[in-house]
Amino acid sequence: MSVLFVAGSAVACSSNPQATASAKGAKVTLTQWYHQYGEEGTQAAVKRYAKEFTKANPDIAINVVWGADTSQYETKLNAALLGADAPDIFELGDFRAEMARKGQLEPLDDVYGSAKDGFNKADIDYLTVDGKLYGMKTIDDIMMLFYRKSMLTKAGVTPPTTFAELTAAAKKLTDGDIKGLFIGNDGIGDSPYLLAWSQGVDMIKDGKVVYADAAKSIGGLHDLHSDKSILLGFTTDWYDAGAFTQGATAMQWCGLWALPTVEKALGDDFGVVPWPAYDASGKPVARLGGWSQAINSKSKHVAEAKKYLQWLWVEQSAIQMDWAVKYGFHVPPQNAVAAKTPALSKGAAKDTVTIGTKYGISFPAEWTQAMQAEFIAAAADIAQGDDPAKTLKKAQSKAQSDLDKQMG
Amino acid sequence: MTATGTAPLRKRAARPAPAKVPRRRRLTERRSKALAFIVLTAPMLIGLAVFRYVAIGWSFLLSFSEARRTISLGKWVGLDNYKELLSDERFRDSLTMIVLFTAMIVPVTFVASLGLAVLVNRVRRGRAFFRTAFLLPAAVSYVAAAMIWKMALFSGVPSGLANTIGALFGADATPWIQTQSPPLYWIVLVTLRLWLQVGLYMILFIAGLQSIPPHLYEAASLDGAGPWRTFRSITFPMLRNTSVAILLLMFIAALQAFDEFYAIFSTGASLGSEPVRTPLMHLYGVALQDQDYGVGSAGAFLLTLLIVLITLVQGRILGFARDKD
Repeated sequence: MSVLFVAGSAVACSSNPQATASAKGAKVTLTQWYHQYGEEGTQAAVKRYAKEFTKANPDIAINVVWGADTSQYETKLNAALLGADAPDIFELGDFRAEMARKGQLEPLDDVYGSAKDGFNKADIDYLTVDGKLYGMKTIDDIMMLFYRKSMLTKAGVTPPTTFAELTAAAKKLTDGDIKGLFIGNDGIGDSPYLLAWSQGVDMIKDGKVVYADAAKSIGGLHDLHSDKSILLGFTTDWYDAGAFTQGATAMQWCGLWALPTVEKALGDDFGVVPWPAYDASGKPVARLGGWSQAINSKSKHVAEAKKYLQWLWVEQSAIQMDWAVKYGFHVPPQNAVAAKTPALSKGAAKDTVTIGTKYGISFPAEWTQAMQAEFIAAAADIAQGDDPAKTLKKAQSKAQSDLDKQMG
Repeated sequence: MTATGTAPLRKRAARPAPAKVPRRRRLTERRSKALAFIVLTAPMLIGLAVFRYVAIGWSFLLSFSEARRTISLGKWVGLDNYKELLSDERFRDSLTMIVLFTAMIVPVTFVASLGLAVLVNRVRRGRAFFRTAFLLPAAVSYVAAAMIWKMALFSGVPSGLANTIGALFGADATPWIQTQSPPLYWIVLVTLRLWLQVGLYMILFIAGLQSIPPHLYEAASLDGAGPWRTFRSITFPMLRNTSVAILLLMFIAALQAFDEFYAIFSTGASLGSEPVRTPLMHLYGVALQDQDYGVGSAGAFLLTLLIVLITLVQGRILGFARDKD
């Protein structure tokens, strides 16, 4: 049976039906990995971009590999990077500075060149490790709070500006089968980050993990849970607008990408705000996500890969706009391109872009999945009633030892 | 190649051995048999060696090495990886959890599958139908079944099946997977596991039941033994070897639990918010998500050790593969 399995996987590897056939006559073929975008037309689009590049540069063909969905993509990529069949160019969701420090990524400063100053400053900071740039954002995703205008008016509440207002509003808006707030099926989602940031606390500061300072705000999760005002166990999770458009919740934490769907379903019966400041001394926040592309430092064709990346994500502003707003709804990372994109210059989209520029925060680049799991697990325990300060301190010291190991 | 090689061999073997065969011919026959054995089993054995034993050996070495974002050996750290893992409270919690889970789920699965086997074996008409109906779930993928349980049967929305039934009795919609006090998620996990596994063990028990000689039952009924007495004195003792083997499989399956736990609790991002975590889930996070192959390998060997220990204890108590006396 193992033999059959081996033979089977050899066949499976050699014929990837998703891959584009490499152009005939090209001297170099670059392999480029994308994760599986949910939006229709994205796969055809990236193949079209690759073809256009080969038309302009007949020596270089691009083999686009359309990969796993977000939840499995990073695991698969990490495994591939250890082997001989590693891609030359690949996408990264959460950028990991650890990859750069371990020598897995090629520095891209020369790809940016003088265009560097035109990129979103938050993105540049995020992708810089020890003074060098290791990734290039292809889209910025802004995450913010959607609220249903008619439901808020009916309950007599205004969009929340503090955490106390948020919990009060969620409680008031909860009515039978309709819940006040949806932050994730597990009742946690991104909220621990948002709460800490909204209290003015960073995850990591000057090489120290400091999130236990946010015990006060993260402790608020327990109130949301014991109030039973948050939606749990819906069929789709927070990154899909389903719960909001179907009226299962009055407020939902979601992202700019969902805006077209929400507009189609609810017309103008909705608005967007940042996550509220924890209290008067805090600040409103939005999460800045998106996807970056990076070059495998072990690639045999680093120069060609750099040329392709520069052509596509620095020079081709028409393609960047197409990629950002034609299939889903994202912000092009170059400020000048974003300003030129008509779809982002009106209505709720414009509000969101403003929210993102003003309040957007990314995960720290030093963040690893272990730190993430530890932090989220602590927050989940707190939501169930564990002591916030004690629980966070314990998680924080574990994260600190992870961080020390990473910095080596 | 193999087809032409084996055909004459088989023909020769089928022929009754002649009384006197010259020594030379016997030798060549033996040699060609050995050759055929090697040719036929080599691909399988090479496959096993390369993809199993080399991998296991490599992983064992990795468990003594620092291997973050790499699988190359060299930075030896002794037992540090084991120490780190055992000092991790969440991993220790997961070990305690899995031992308790095993202690509960194995007897339940055992009784349920044995009970079903006895019942199905007694049915006079439509036995094949019942057998198939109960076995069918064993063919369903754990992940697919977990999705059905998560999104259709036990979803938190009022339209979920469990909540629809609850509403008939006036209960409010309940988020089954997310409710931790009381821990309702166990209902989801246990029903799912039973649904998936009971059928397969039932088939094994039925095979055991059918190998019990019918004359024993005839003698018992002549002696006036009732159904319970028959079960206690004939069926159960005669199933001893089957039961011991099935228990072994159940222990291993329970200790290696991953699929349905992961699929029920995963949120699409990394792990963290799940109320219970099995050791394999923890190690998946360490090795595959966080790319620490050293600590991940150490965990794999700790878990293997646990399984071996439990199997040995079970063998001590129940006598694994002991001859019928």
